[in-house]
Formats: sequence, C-alpha cells, structure tokens
Amino acid sequence: MKERLMFQNAPHVRQSESVVTMMTDVIVALLPIYLIAFFYHGARSLVLGISGVLFCGLLSVLGAILLREKPAADLTPIITGLIIPLLLPADIPYYVLFSACAVAIFVVKIPFGGTGYNLFNPAAVGFASVAICWPELVFRYPATMQKIEVFGESTVKIAQSPAYSLSLGAIPDQNILDLLLGSAPGPMGATNILVVVACGIFLIVKKAINWIEPVSFILPYSVLCLLFPRIGGSPLEALCYELFSGALIFGAFFMLTEPVTSPKRDFGKLMAGVSSAIVVFLFRYFGKFEMGFASALILMNVFSPIFDSVCENVLHVLRHTDNISASIKAEIAAKKAAKTVSEPVVRPVKKTEEAEIAEVSEEIAEIEAIEVSEEVLEAENETTEETEKEEALAK
Amino acid sequence: MSLFVKGIFLEQKKEPMLTRSTLVMRQEFEYFDCDFPDSAIDELSREQIIELARLAEIVDESDGKMLWEKLEKSPSGENVTLIVDAVDDEPYISSQMSVGIHQPEKLSLGTELCEKVLSPEKVYIAMYRHILDSNFGIPKKIGKYHVKKIGGLYPAESRVHRHLPKGKNSVIIGACAMLHLARAAEESRKMTTCFVTVAGDVVKNPRNVEVPIGTTAEKILELCGLTEEPEAIILGGSMTGRAIFEPENETVGPTTRGVIALSRSYGTYSYTCIGCGRCDHACPKALSVCMMRKFAENGKFDMLEKYDVDMCIGCGACSYVCPSRIDVSATLIKAKKQMELAKKEGNL
Repeated sequence: MKERLMFQNAPHVRQSESVVTMMTDVIVALLPIYLIAFFYHGARSLVLGISGVLFCGLLSVLGAILLREKPAADLTPIITGLIIPLLLPADIPYYVLFSACAVAIFVVKIPFGGTGYNLFNPAAVGFASVAICWPELVFRYPATMQKIEVFGESTVKIAQSPAYSLSLGAIPDQNILDLLLGSAPGPMGATNILVVVACGIFLIVKKAINWIEPVSFILPYSVLCLLFPRIGGSPLEALCYELFSGALIFGAFFMLTEPVTSPKRDFGKLMAGVSSAIVVFLFRYFGKFEMGFASALILMNVFSPIFDSVCENVLHVLRHTDNISASIKAEIAAKKAAKTVSEPVVRPVKKTEEAEIAEVSEEIAEIEAIEVSEEVLEAENETTEETEKEEALAK
Repeated sequence: MSLFVKGIFLEQKKEPMLTRSTLVMRQEFEYFDCDFPDSAIDELSREQIIELARLAEIVDESDGKMLWEKLEKSPSGENVTLIVDAVDDEPYISSQMSVGIHQPEKLSLGTELCEKVLSPEKVYIAMYRHILDSNFGIPKKIGKYHVKKIGGLYPAESRVHRHLPKGKNSVIIGACAMLHLARAAEESRKMTTCFVTVAGDVVKNPRNVEVPIGTTAEKILELCGLTEEPEAIILGGSMTGRAIFEPENETVGPTTRGVIALSRSYGTYSYTCIGCGRCDHACPKALSVCMMRKFAENGKFDMLEKYDVDMCIGCGACSYVCPSRIDVSATLIKAKKQMELAKKEGNL
C-alpha cells in the first residue's frame, strides 16, 4: 500500500475543469469562424490560420529554448495564432501575418515571463503593430465570394469596408443583413456577426469566458452611438452599422475577455468593459484611424490592475464594516444615554467610573440583601400564621 | 457584504455512507465511577453534568476543546443560542449527520443535558441541506429539537451562526460530543471512541464506523476493505484533511472525521496562473486571493497583511476552483504560519 502513496495538498478533490479545457473551448469556438471565412474567401483563409498557429507555436518553443526552460504544453500560442489572421484581410501577404505573430510572441509574451505574465493582449499588440507598419495592406479588404490565390500576390477586386465609409461619415453601400451574414468586406473573421455571437454565447455557456465583459462593453457602446451618431438617417440604423462594422463584436467576445490582462473581479470587469467602450467610441468618433478597438484594448489593459486595486479597497472597507458599524452604534447609544440625563454632562474619568460602578454594585448588593431578608421574614410570618391556623383548626 | 460572499458548489458524494447504519469496531469500553451513581438523569444538576463531562473526558469534535471546560466557561442565560453542529459540508464526510439520523434519542438526550447547563434562549440542531446527489430527506425534528437546515455553497460550517442577531452569543457543540455526554449520563461510559467516515472510490464497503481513539488508518481501511491499492490516503475531511504516507503509524484522534482512500491523486502537475480570477470569486471571505498568492510566493508579508490574510479560514475553495491546479490555499496557509513566526521573533 505504501509504495504508491503520493503527496498532495488539501483540498483532495478538485474541479474537473482546467486550463486545457478552457483553452480547448476557445479553440473550438474559433473554428466555425474559419469555416465561414473559407466559405467567403476560399482556401487561403485556412492556410493563413494554420500558418499563424504553426508560426506562433514555433516561436514560443524557440523562446522557451532561449530562456533555457522546458517548452510547456501550452495552448495559448495556438489561440494567439488563430486570432491574429481573423483580424486581418483574407489576402494579406504572409510576411505581414508572420511579423504580427512575431511581435505577439517575442515582444509581448516572452520578455515578460511567458503565459500568465503578459501585460497586454498579444493578439491586439501584434495586429496594432502591423496596422501601423503596413496600413495600406491591412486596411485593404477584398470583396467577398472571390477565389483568392492560396500563395503569392493576390489579384482580386478590392472593396470599401463599412468601417471606412463610417469614418468618412458616409452611409455604407452594404445593407445590414450583409453585415450580419458576413458578405460585407472587412477583416477575415470579424464580419460574420451572427457566427461570432453564436460562438461567444457557446463560450459563455461553457464558462470559458465571463458574460459581464462583452455585455458591459456592447451596451454602453450602443448607448453612446445612439446619442452621438456619426452618420445621418435613423439612429437605430446608424447603431447597427456602428456595431457590426470592424472587429468590434469579435473583439468583445474573444479579445476583451482574455483572462491574463482583464481584471479579476466582476465589478472590475464591469468597469473595464464600460471604460473601454467609452475609449473605443472616442477613438472612432474623433480618430481618423480604422482600428479603434485594438488600440483602445491595449490602452485599457494598462488600467486593469488599477480596477483590481479599486475593487480590493472597496472590499477591504466592507470587510471591516461590521466592527466600524458596531462601534458607531455604541457611540450613538452612549450619546443618547448622555442626553437623557438632565444634569449637566460631566465626563467622568475612567477611575471614577470604576469607583461609581463599585458603589452601585455595593448598593445593589445591599438592596438585594435587604430584600432577601424581608422575603425570609415574610415567609417565616406566613409559616407561623399557617401553623397557628392549623392548630386552631385542630382545636 | 453578503452580496460579495460566495462559495463553491461541491458534489457531496455522501451516499451510501449516510443511509447505512454505523459500524462499531469490536472493543472494550471503559467506565468511570462517580459520586452520584443512582440519581436519575432528569434530576442531575448543572455541576453534576459538568462533572460527568469531565469524568468521561469528552472532547468536542468540532473544535477539539474539552467539553466540560466549554460548558463551564461559555456564557449562559437568555442571550445564548445553543447550536448542535451536525453540518457536514465536505464531500464524503457524514460522521456527524449519521449520529443525528441513526441515534436521535441519544443526541436529543445529550442536547437536553447541555440545555440544562447553559439554560439558553433557543436550541437547534444544524444540518447541511444541499445534498443534491441523493434523495435523502433530513428530519424536521430530532427529539423535541428543531433541525435547522443550513444550505448554500461550501463552506457552510462558518455560516452556522450568521443569521443570529448581533449581540447574541452562540455556543456550538458537536453532535458526537452530545452523544458521548448522553452515554456518560446513562451508562457512565468514558469517551474512548470517535466517529469516522470511511469512503473513497477504492473502498469496498464505505460507511460510518465507530472506532477506538488511536486506531491506525490501516486497520480502519482493513475493516471496510479495499478494492485496489490507493494512491492517496487522507486523514480528515476531503477539503481540509492531510495526505498520509504511513497508514500503519497514523492514528485517528477525537477530531478526525474521516479516512478517505482515493485511487488517483490529482498529481503535482500545474500550469502558471493565468489570472482568471475564479479564486477571488470562490473565496467565502471575499479576499483577493489571486494577488495574495503572488505576494505569498514572493515573501511580501507587509502587503499580505494589508490584504487581510488573517481573515483566511483555510477552507480550500480557491484551490478547488483553480483551473491551473495551483495549491493556492496551501501557499496562503504556509505564508500565514511564516508571518506568525516572524511576528514572534519581532522581524515584522
């Protein structure tokens, strides 16, 4: 019996969910988006996804070797490698994708200590860096339903994306159904809103992500869009165009909810969601650049430790309220007691208080003693009376 | 505050130990002599009952204190509520509940004696309600005492007296101690036994057993039988107990509630923390566990103190939910002990 016994710390039962199952859920939720991209753009989208995953995996193994660590069985580079191509157009040259992956792994992740220690969302930083370096390639979207060559320069028709039209203050050419179904030009994975939302709901049901962040991001953002529309026409239509263009919904479900860089508590997540909604709106309303979401996310990642510490401070106060409220109540009771006394209130020193208490207790003891003696006397009287009556009766 | 207080949902796995009757290991009982052997149980005075508890050497299994000291020193009178603790909220463990269910007469007699000593305003027996994986129904009354069903998420034991109004005292006494007190009054028997749940996925005949104090874990497991070699043997509860390596030397004490044999330990495999914040949400005391673990690993005791580490009750909820399988609660408890040592030496 003895040989097989293993050491383990309490508790001895553990949840069946682990990091592996969480990451697998996210990967499974990303696959349908690739299928839709394959439907609209052909095999190049799948090849982009596979090459992104392979390159990210390779880089993280390389990083582990450089740091002289054992390469861990870690699924996070796969998720990064799957998300980055989905933010880019389907005809993006491979070197742009590879440089985005390299920035994500080698600049954001490994120098800070690998998985769990990165300060910023790797996919967002990777995308933002290539958007700054090659804006003419990253924001040039191919029209849908064309076969793009799997390798080499693409020679397909270019179309104006709804996000670009909105930034110019014009109503997009596509109608809202096109945006929902994903046939509008735009980032490879972020245009098909219905599929993205379905995958997000799958993640929420599987508890791989928290529902608070997407909801607290999308609701305030839509309120802001209703209040300050960028285009003419009915405000509802404008809201739909604002929400469904660009990588907004995709980012809200897959990038904002990244556990490492988001706040820990529900209230912190709420604050992060609302504030990033405001920042994204400001970037889109005043900025001329199209990638409002990624840069706003990077900015808000800086604030998540602050949101955490705000939550902790609030809870710290709440944890100690029991003692505080008890002491306040005692003070109030003491004041009331002091007011009821008609004599001018003179605060006695502690020693006199003790002396008073001693005196009072002595008095009480005396009164009690007197009472007891009286009771005894009465009882004796009664008994004597009773015996007399009995004797009289007997006579 | 109660808005933020959470816990974890646990599969209780109390069947079939709870519905099976208690197995008594063959043993010789010890008896004591007292000055009032012939007086009836109803006529025992307060001092006599405390004397009985002292002679029988009864230990309260819920906190490990001597029962007579507890009865003598704890407050009595109208402001006091007497709570009989039969809350078994840890998985597998049901030793206290089985006492209430299979020997209700003894439990109510013991409670009656304690009521006589403390003369409290209210008496009730607390039991854990949310045993969702069995159809077992908790009785509404045991003897003449009302059974209060404590529900909700783990840990429930710390919430036993939460609904009491402020300014009222509560005295919590374990159910097994009540049983031993009743035995001392009826048969003048010493407390030489303890109630232990033997469970786990490799135990052939899992049930509650009454064994002499000092029995080794190996003997207890032999009594119930093993289907295969276990990889982990746990002395105590499944959430707070400790793993043992020498079952032939480790003995059960009066506060031991279970011996659990598991076919597979969860192992030492762990990822780095990904900061998902599940531990923060699971903590029943609303502590920021995720940050506290980082402070504890880096030895920043001053920050730990600011984050209220002394409020940690060591329930293990954070470790249970951690998807990276990090020993969060073990790290915190260790840091707490180191802090106490440093304080004693005057380094902090």
